[in-house]
Amino acid sequence: MDILHNLMFGFEHALTLQNLLYCAIGCVIGTLVGLLPGLGPLSTISLLLPLTYSIPTDGALIMLAGIYYGAQYGDSVSAITMKIPHASSIVACIDGYQMTLKGKTGLALFSAGISSFIGGTVAIVVLSTVAPALGEVALLFGPADYCALMLLGFCCVGFVTTSGYILNGLAMALVGVLLGSIGTDVTSGRHRYTLDLPFLSEGVGLISVALGCFALAEIAKNLDSRSQFTPFSGSIRLLPSWTEFKRIIPSALRGSAVGSFLGLLPGGGPVLAQFGAYALERRFSKYRHELGSGAIEGVAGQAAADEAAARTSFIPLMSIGIPENAVMALMLAAFIVKGIQPGPNMIGQHPDLFWGLVASMWIGSCLLLILNVPMVRYLLSVFRIPYSVLFPSILFFCCVGTFSINNNLDEIYITAVFGLFGYLFLRLGLEAAPLILGFILGPMLEENFRRALLLSHGSFSIFLTRPISATLVTVIAAFLAWQVIAYVRQGRVRAVT
Amino acid sequence: MNNQLLIRGLLLVAIALWFGVPALNYQVGTFSRAGPGLFPLLVSCIVGLIGVVMMVRGWVEKPEPITFKVRNIFILLASLVGFVVIAEHFRVIAAVVYLVFVSTLAGSDYSIRRNLLICAMLIAIAFAFRAFLGLNLNLI
Repeated sequence: MDILHNLMFGFEHALTLQNLLYCAIGCVIGTLVGLLPGLGPLSTISLLLPLTYSIPTDGALIMLAGIYYGAQYGDSVSAITMKIPHASSIVACIDGYQMTLKGKTGLALFSAGISSFIGGTVAIVVLSTVAPALGEVALLFGPADYCALMLLGFCCVGFVTTSGYILNGLAMALVGVLLGSIGTDVTSGRHRYTLDLPFLSEGVGLISVALGCFALAEIAKNLDSRSQFTPFSGSIRLLPSWTEFKRIIPSALRGSAVGSFLGLLPGGGPVLAQFGAYALERRFSKYRHELGSGAIEGVAGQAAADEAAARTSFIPLMSIGIPENAVMALMLAAFIVKGIQPGPNMIGQHPDLFWGLVASMWIGSCLLLILNVPMVRYLLSVFRIPYSVLFPSILFFCCVGTFSINNNLDEIYITAVFGLFGYLFLRLGLEAAPLILGFILGPMLEENFRRALLLSHGSFSIFLTRPISATLVTVIAAFLAWQVIAYVRQGRVRAVT
Repeated sequence: MNNQLLIRGLLLVAIALWFGVPALNYQVGTFSRAGPGLFPLLVSCIVGLIGVVMMVRGWVEKPEPITFKVRNIFILLASLVGFVVIAEHFRVIAAVVYLVFVSTLAGSDYSIRRNLLICAMLIAIAFAFRAFLGLNLNLI
């Protein structure tokens, strides 16, 4: 009953008028940016991060979290109605759009809404039981274990991104680590890679890197493709029949379970969870023969998994202190800006913040359900805004956001430089998301790496003798070996054909 | 030389050299007493190695062309740089007008009336930011 007690404590903090308002703002903004193509949670959180400096800590974090999980629902809506794929709604485009073609848009949206709510609720239970327990395990982590965990995260995050090659993601994460080493070395006080520019002695700003690589590069890509979406104009009949409703529940529960689990893993999150849920439906659903041609299960399972994973991916961040994907890396930055170090001690030191955030996630689920399911047709009107209005505005917000960190206009130059690099990376098929993860974890990785070697007097065996890091290193090695084998096999197939 | 993998590898090797060579000049130290150069040097070596692997793959495999369109990204960067220059030497309002009118050149259609409306909206937002979030912009 401890958990119930703690959750009640959390609701007391989350149900203040102010925090409710921030939660609602976060959910609405999240849904809107989830709907619109080319504005994901990553660019939105990096745009809004500097603007949260003047907001109280719990409100700011509740709002940023709301943007993340709100975006998952918005993603599904635009995938179902218009087949716009976002990173986390690729699967929703299959069955969701098929349902729209059959005139069952309302049913698909209702399934997604209800399943998201179920996924969110299950994830809250997982979050409030697993996070404190994992926090206790994390107290056993030494520097070598932290290093191994971060490296595993770098390998996995590359695997999850669209290209599927571990090497691409690993390379980008390590480039991020190198960028993170710009500035003053903490141990020796020596300036590194500052090019003798005084403002670089503090390092490159996170917001500059994030906005350049995500917002700017993404705008340029959208402008290049000039794709126009015709706004959805069909009719929406929301309420399902009882037989249809009964089909939603089991697949939503399966999706919640797999989503909650996949959200916990390094590199995990909604992007991975949707595929897991779809694979599970294909294996176990009673209606699996309908999958692919507009089955309710194809929408419900992935929507539940998306929402569940978006929430459980907070667990490694809050109980170990290591973010597992790029959005969580930005959340880590938000915590640190507010003077809070996520990690094993956070739940003990800031129980009001932790439980308040957990409770707000469930309140967010309710808000999303109440606001969005009946009001979805009004939300879809954002597609009437032409992109020619949207992108100059985003550029302006990029400038204001970069400026507001240090009240320094020169930092916008750095944003521009990273915009160019971001676009180059995009065109070369390299994803920028691992770069942000590496950039934020870089200084932490270096510190732990040096500390581990100091403890072992320079011997790398410390990574293999400690049980936790030995396990993690084995997993990394298995991952890399599997990639090499898969590549060689692929090559053989190519050579034969 | 329009080969995505080859250029990707070249870029990674270039980044590795850019960070790795100066790292040699910072004190490297030993593994037990690492200097400031050791960690960046190690990481650059791995990045360089991955870059070489990609270059080799680029040589062996069927080339996949890259599509790098200079125009749009250049317009975006020019509008950002111009924004900073105008905002520093003049006023933010003028910079916003410049940003909107130059950046929309990259869009599919151009409308002066719409641009004026966007400018008005963004300037209003800038005033709101200054009033409510205490943003220190020299607007007028």
